[in-house]
Amino acid sequence: MSNEIDFDEILAKYRTDPYKYIDILAPHTGTIEFLVEKGSGVDAPGGEWKHIPGSALFRINRENNPKTVNAPINGIVSEICGDCEGRFVEAGEKLLTIRHPLKKKDIIESILREVLYLFPAPETAKFFFSLDIQSRIDKKGSSGVTIKSGDEVFTMSLMKRDTPVAYTGEEGIIHSIYFKPGVSVQQGEPLIGVCPAGKLGLIQKVITRVKAEWDAM
Amino acid sequence: MSARLSREFLLAYIEDKELPARSGEPLAAAAEKIIRYGAFVGSVIERHGSLNRTMLYARERIEHCERAAVPVANGTVILADTLSESKGRFTREWHAPRGGLWGSLIYVSTLLPRYRMLVPLAVGVACCEAVREFGARDAMIRWINDVLIDGYKVGGFLAESFTGHFSGEEYCLLGFGINVNNGVFPEELAATATSLTEHLGRRVAVDEFACCFLAKLWWNLGLLYYQEEVELQVDAGKSYAGTHPLISRWLELSDTLGREIIFGVDVVTSPQYRATAAGITSNGGLRLILEDGSDIVEYSGEIRYLDEYA
Repeated sequence: MSNEIDFDEILAKYRTDPYKYIDILAPHTGTIEFLVEKGSGVDAPGGEWKHIPGSALFRINRENNPKTVNAPINGIVSEICGDCEGRFVEAGEKLLTIRHPLKKKDIIESILREVLYLFPAPETAKFFFSLDIQSRIDKKGSSGVTIKSGDEVFTMSLMKRDTPVAYTGEEGIIHSIYFKPGVSVQQGEPLIGVCPAGKLGLIQKVITRVKAEWDAM
Repeated sequence: MSARLSREFLLAYIEDKELPARSGEPLAAAAEKIIRYGAFVGSVIERHGSLNRTMLYARERIEHCERAAVPVANGTVILADTLSESKGRFTREWHAPRGGLWGSLIYVSTLLPRYRMLVPLAVGVACCEAVREFGARDAMIRWINDVLIDGYKVGGFLAESFTGHFSGEEYCLLGFGINVNNGVFPEELAATATSLTEHLGRRVAVDEFACCFLAKLWWNLGLLYYQEEVELQVDAGKSYAGTHPLISRWLELSDTLGREIIFGVDVVTSPQYRATAAGITSNGGLRLILEDGSDIVEYSGEIRYLDEYA
């Protein structure tokens, strides 16, 4: 988490290139058959429960078990590994890149993620705030709740096994909540962004500056 | 057999009944190995007249041992004849009067994460096998591990993970509540719960049932460790070709697949959607076909069968 923000540099970067680039890697070994090409538009998963898969990107076949991999986010296919078509690839090999257009709130969030302390999901599971934290959020709002390292902040639920998860990080207020209770979060993705008390002014500055600069573009 | 439940009693049951019973099954050749893997279950068996909650007692036991720098015996089973503050998941109450089997198993979690996900299924299989052995031949499992007889719930289970404050050891606490001889339920449960005695029309020796259940738990948890060993020996770059034997057994004992269900993280207070249960994944997830034809896999949450849902 950084203490200083070079706004001019960051905003210039987003002005010239207001996109997020998501690399899609081979989930395991297998032979590839692409279902999109460079420049194809792709859709993100949809539906109330995110149950409608995103656009099909490619099929990967391992030991006569073909699996279709779908887009996790909407955008345009900006790069594709043409050499990979029809050949065997290793797990983790980069196959294509999706260029996702960023909105103002996405840019604010991206910058905030450099300022806030992000606490990640320890496993892919569903998460809930612990009863104590939830009741404090209900009373005062998340920005009125201060947490410190060792506080039991979440309950992680997976296959009817509930695990209390203690927060480890800098003491501060819960500024951003990146998960919805009962919705699966992938391992490593941030659950919350915590802002130490002394950094709140900086956070407000970020939000105000980006909103003003973005609207002026 | 009517001896009070003890480690010795359990060991004798394993040798005289459980091991011979498994000799006719597909994994007969590996039975002794599986039994060795599961031998931590019931390493210590504690009986109490009344506790507030066995899960709470188990946590306090772990903390007490850690402060005293004394190890907690892996596989400790804590049993109570009655519970005064028993609770289910979320804010639900759990009715635990005399006559039922109420307890928790403490074990140190050493399975890899993908095999650890099957522990809740293993305890459901153990309960279903035990109630069937005692005469409830129609007992079935509703995903994940609710054991039902004729649609009424006879057993419920909780799993909680707990990290020791001093050791950093990750413990798994498996709570179990099985209605054995307790046949009277409060009004809010009367429409959904049953007991073994209510179904069979006769009383059951609780200690004998407890021994049978723990023996089945011994086997099914041992099976997870055994199968982990088997699958880790598969060559790199290849995947294990078969179905996990616990999943196979679960499928034999479950009537969930093919049923119309309603799903929710807390299905009692906040049902979310209707679907058809279409399959179970290799790590215990339930594959559901939604009303619009799309499919989703759920790894957490609860279901109720639509034809029984009120």
